[in-house]
Amino acid sequence: MSFSRRDLLKAGLTATALMAAPRPLLARFGRRWEPAPPIQDPRVKDLALRALEAARAAGAAYADVRLTHTRSRSFLTRVADVRDGEQVVVGARALVDGYWGFASSPVWDVEEMGRLGREAVHQAKVHALGPARAVELAPVPAVRDGHWVMPVAIDPLEVSPLEIADYLEGLRLFVSRFPDFIPLAPSYSCQVQEKAFASSEGSYCTQRVYRSEGDVKLQLKQNGQPVYDGALDTLTPAGVGWELFKGQPIREQVRRLMEDMKDEWKLPEKPVAVGRYDTVCDAWTVARLLDQTLGRATELDRALGYEANAGGTSYLTEPLAMVGSYQAGAPTLTVTANRAEPGGAATVAWDDEGVKPDEFALVRDGILVDFQTTRESAGWLKAHYAKTGAPLRSHGCAAAPSALEAPLTHTPNLTLAPGRGTRDVDELIAGMGTGLAVKGGALEMDFQGQSGLGRGRVFEVKRGKQVARVVGAGFLFRANELWKRLAALGGPAGRRRYGLGSSKGEPAQHTYHSVTAPPAAFEQLTVIDVLRKA
Amino acid sequence: MSDARILSAEDCEALLARAHAFARGGGDTTIGVSSWWQGELRWARNRVALASDRRNIGVTVTRTVRGGHPGYVSTNQIDDVSLEAAVRAAERLSRLEARMGRGLGYFPPQPAYERPESTIWSDATPGLTTERSGEVARALIAPAEAKGLLSAGYLEVRVAAQALLGTDFPELRAGKHAFWHHPYVRWTQAYCSTTVRDPSGMASGWAGASSYDWARIDPAALAQRAVEKCLASRNPVALEPGRYTVILEPQAVADILEVLVGSFTSREFPEAGIDGPWRLGPDEALQLWRTKLGLRVVDERVTISHDLAHPDLGILTEPHEYPGPVTWIDQGVLTALAHQLPTAIQRLKGHHSLRGASGYRMSGGTSSVEEMIRTTKRGLLVTRFSNIRLLDGVSLLSTGLTRDGLWLVENGQITKAVKNFRFTESPLFVLNAIEQLGEPVRVFRPMRGEGEPLSPAIVPPVKARDFSFTSTIDAI
Repeated sequence: MSFSRRDLLKAGLTATALMAAPRPLLARFGRRWEPAPPIQDPRVKDLALRALEAARAAGAAYADVRLTHTRSRSFLTRVADVRDGEQVVVGARALVDGYWGFASSPVWDVEEMGRLGREAVHQAKVHALGPARAVELAPVPAVRDGHWVMPVAIDPLEVSPLEIADYLEGLRLFVSRFPDFIPLAPSYSCQVQEKAFASSEGSYCTQRVYRSEGDVKLQLKQNGQPVYDGALDTLTPAGVGWELFKGQPIREQVRRLMEDMKDEWKLPEKPVAVGRYDTVCDAWTVARLLDQTLGRATELDRALGYEANAGGTSYLTEPLAMVGSYQAGAPTLTVTANRAEPGGAATVAWDDEGVKPDEFALVRDGILVDFQTTRESAGWLKAHYAKTGAPLRSHGCAAAPSALEAPLTHTPNLTLAPGRGTRDVDELIAGMGTGLAVKGGALEMDFQGQSGLGRGRVFEVKRGKQVARVVGAGFLFRANELWKRLAALGGPAGRRRYGLGSSKGEPAQHTYHSVTAPPAAFEQLTVIDVLRKA
Repeated sequence: MSDARILSAEDCEALLARAHAFARGGGDTTIGVSSWWQGELRWARNRVALASDRRNIGVTVTRTVRGGHPGYVSTNQIDDVSLEAAVRAAERLSRLEARMGRGLGYFPPQPAYERPESTIWSDATPGLTTERSGEVARALIAPAEAKGLLSAGYLEVRVAAQALLGTDFPELRAGKHAFWHHPYVRWTQAYCSTTVRDPSGMASGWAGASSYDWARIDPAALAQRAVEKCLASRNPVALEPGRYTVILEPQAVADILEVLVGSFTSREFPEAGIDGPWRLGPDEALQLWRTKLGLRVVDERVTISHDLAHPDLGILTEPHEYPGPVTWIDQGVLTALAHQLPTAIQRLKGHHSLRGASGYRMSGGTSSVEEMIRTTKRGLLVTRFSNIRLLDGVSLLSTGLTRDGLWLVENGQITKAVKNFRFTESPLFVLNAIEQLGEPVRVFRPMRGEGEPLSPAIVPPVKARDFSFTSTIDAI
C-alpha cells in the first residue's frame, strides 16, 4: 500500500471542508430543477400532497405517499476505499375497494407526483374488479407537520471521510503491533435517510433516520498461519452515527477479544459426542434464537400466509386462535417490541404508515399475547383486542428500505426480558456445572421459524468451566420446545443489543432491527455432528 | 421518463457523453447507467395483496484522478447538476488514496469486442399490461379457491437496460467495442410462482416458472400443478431420517445443483492453492497447484454446459466474454472453469473472459418421472428444496430442507405424503449416485439480486440412491 497516515492527515487539512459538503440533488417544484431541499422544506409537502390529490381524484378510498432521500457512505475492504451512494425516490400507495396499488419512481416533480397517484389507483382498480376484499385500517391520530431527527452524537456525513479512514487505519495498525494477531481491514458504513410521509387522512411528517455498522475482525496466528478467527460484537447495525466507533473503548475491547481468543484457542479440541446436553448460550446466540423463531413467527402477515410463496409461514399456525392462550415458552419468557427504542436499528418516530410506534409485549410470562402489526393487519386482531380491552391500533411495524418499495410488516426492535438475578454468561456456565456452551451462534431455520440447526463456537463445560472446544458440533431445536426448556436467564447487566438484518417479501426487501437479549441456559438440547450424513 | 419505462439507447449515449464531459484534470473515468421498470403482483389467501408499477435509474461513476485510487459514487438522478456533482464527488474520493502504478503489460492491445448474440428480449413481457395481469391473477387463484385451498404467489414482468463507457487505457483501444465499452443493451424478465396451501396448514404445493419471455410461462398450468401437489400432500406421515433413494423433480435438481454450478468460478482460486472443490493438490516438482480439470468428477452420463446463443436460456452477455458454447462437465469430466480477462491474456493465449455458468443445461436421459417411480422399490419423490446452505466448501456438503411436496414411493407406486426432512448432502455425491435420468426441462430460478438478470437452467429429473436425510422437520 502506498499511502501513509501522514499522507492522509496532510490531505485532510486541505480537503476536509470540501469532502464533507453534501452533494445537491434536484427536485422540481415549479418550472426549474433546483437542489433538493432539506426534507422539512414545505415544498416537499406540496409535492406529497399533489400525489394524494391525484390518487383521491382517481378514486382512492385511502392513499399515502412517501418521499425518501437516502445517502450512504461505506469504507470497504481497504480503509480508504470509500463509496458514496445517493438516491431520491417517491412512492404512492392507494386503496380501492380493499385492494392495494403502488407506484414508485426516481423523479421528484409535480407532474410525476400526479402520474404516481393515478397509477397507484389504476393498479388497485384492476384487481378491485374481481372478488371482494375487505380492509379495515386501524385508526391512527393524524400527525400534523411532525418533524423528527434521530438524535445521534456525530452525523457521519458531517465528518470528513479522511478522519474516518484514518481512524480505521489506526485501528488496523494497532492490531498489527500484536505479534500473535493478523488484522483484517476494519470497515464502517452508514446510511442517512430523510423521509416524508403524507396520508389522505391528513397526516404529514418528516424524519431523518441514521444507521451505522462496522466490522473489526482479527485472526490469531501460529507459525505465521491464521488458526482462529474473532470479531468485535459491538458494531452490529444500530441507529447511531460515527459514535459507533468514536469515543468508544474499541482498543480496550480488541484487547479483551484477543485474550478471549487466546483462552479459547488454548483449550484442547474434542470431537462432538452426539447426545442431549444442558446448554448455555451467550447473548449473541440468544438474540439470534429469539429473532429467527418468535421474531419471525409473530409477524402477523406471515402467520396468516402472506409470505407463503416467499420465506414461508409461521409455526403459530392459527394466530387468531392462539393469541392470548398459546404457551410460547417457559413462564420466565417475556418478549417485547418497540420501534421507538433509542438507538435501535429499526427505530423511527413514525412508521411508513405515519403510526407512532409503541412498546408492546409479544409474549408475556410465557403466553403469546400479541403480534407485529400494521394498520391493515391490526384490524385482523380486532376481536382479540375487543375481548382483552386493548385499543385497536397498529404497533407501527410498517417499513420498507425506501419509498421505492411498498411497506410491509418488518420485524421491530425486540427485547427478551432479563432474569431476576445478576448472572452473566460465565456465571450461568458456572451454575450449569456440566454441559455445553455455545457462543457466536448462527442458525439455519426452516420456513416456519420452527425447526432449526444452530452452529457456533461450542465448548464442553465441566464443573462450571469451559474445558474443551468441541469441533463440528451443532444443535437441533424446535422453537416451541426450545423456549419451554429455558432454564435460566442472565441478569440485566449481561444483556446485549445486536442489530440484525431480515429479508421479506417478493421482490425481497432487506431491513434492519435490534434484538436485546441476555445469555440463557436451556435444558437438554439435541447436539449433533453437523458434517455427518445419515 | 413518464412515458418510456426505461432509458433508450439515445438517452444512455447522451447521458454518458454529458457525464464524461464533467471529468476534469485527466485520469480515467468509467460511467455506467442502468434503468428498469417492473410490474408486480403479489397475492395471498386467494386475493391480490398488492399490485405495483415501479421503476428506477442507476448511475455509477468511477473516477481515477492521476495517481489516485478509483473513487466510486452512485446516484439515481440524471440531470446535469447531479451528474456533475457525482463526478466531482468521485474525484474527491479518488484523491483519498494514492494507488500502485500499473503496467500496460497487464492489458496488451485488445481486439474489437462485440457483445455475443443472445435472445433476451420479448415484447410479450412488457406486453403484459396491468389489465391483463388482473385476468392472469384470477386464473392463478381460481383453481385453488374452487377446491377450498389458499393460493399465494408472485408475478413479475421486468424490462431493463444498461450501458457503460470508460476511458481507461485509450492507448490500447482497438475498436469501438473494447472491454471498457459495453454498448446499450436491453432485456426482459418474467417470473411467476405460486404456493397453494390447505387452510389447515397441513399441506402445501408449489409451482413456478421463469423466462425472459412471458409467452413461455403458462400460469394456468402452474396453478393446476400447485393445486395437485397440495391435494396430494395432505395427511403426511413422519419417516425415520436416513438414506433414501430419491426421485428428484427437475426443480429439486436445479436447487441442489446451485452450489455446484456456482463453484465453476473460478480457476484462479484452485491454481493459487485456495481451498475449494476443484483444487487437487500441490505439485512438488513443478511448484504449482494442480486442479481437477481433466479428471472425472461425476457420473459419465452428466454433461453440464451453457450456450449463450441457446434460445431457451436467454443469457445477458458481456462484450468481452467468450462467445461460444462452454462445456463445464463433459461426460463426467471437469473440462472448464471460469477465468478472468487478465488470466486469459497472460496465460491462456486468449482474449476473452469466461464467466461461470450463469445459465446452464444438464444432459438427461430417457426415463420419465413415472418410470422412475415404477422402478423404485422404496424411495422418496421430491418436489423442491429450500433454505440450502453450504457447510463445506471442499466437498460441497450442504444442508437444506424439502418443501411443498414429498412422497413415499413403495413397490413402484406413490403411497403416502411424507413430512419434510432436513438433508445433509453434496451435489457431487448425488451426481455420482445416479440411477436414472429424464428429459431436461426449463425450471424456475429466482433472481439473484435487484437488477441481476435472469439466469435460467435446463435440467432433467434425476433418480439417485443413498440421499442423506438427517432429521425430520415440522414445517409445512
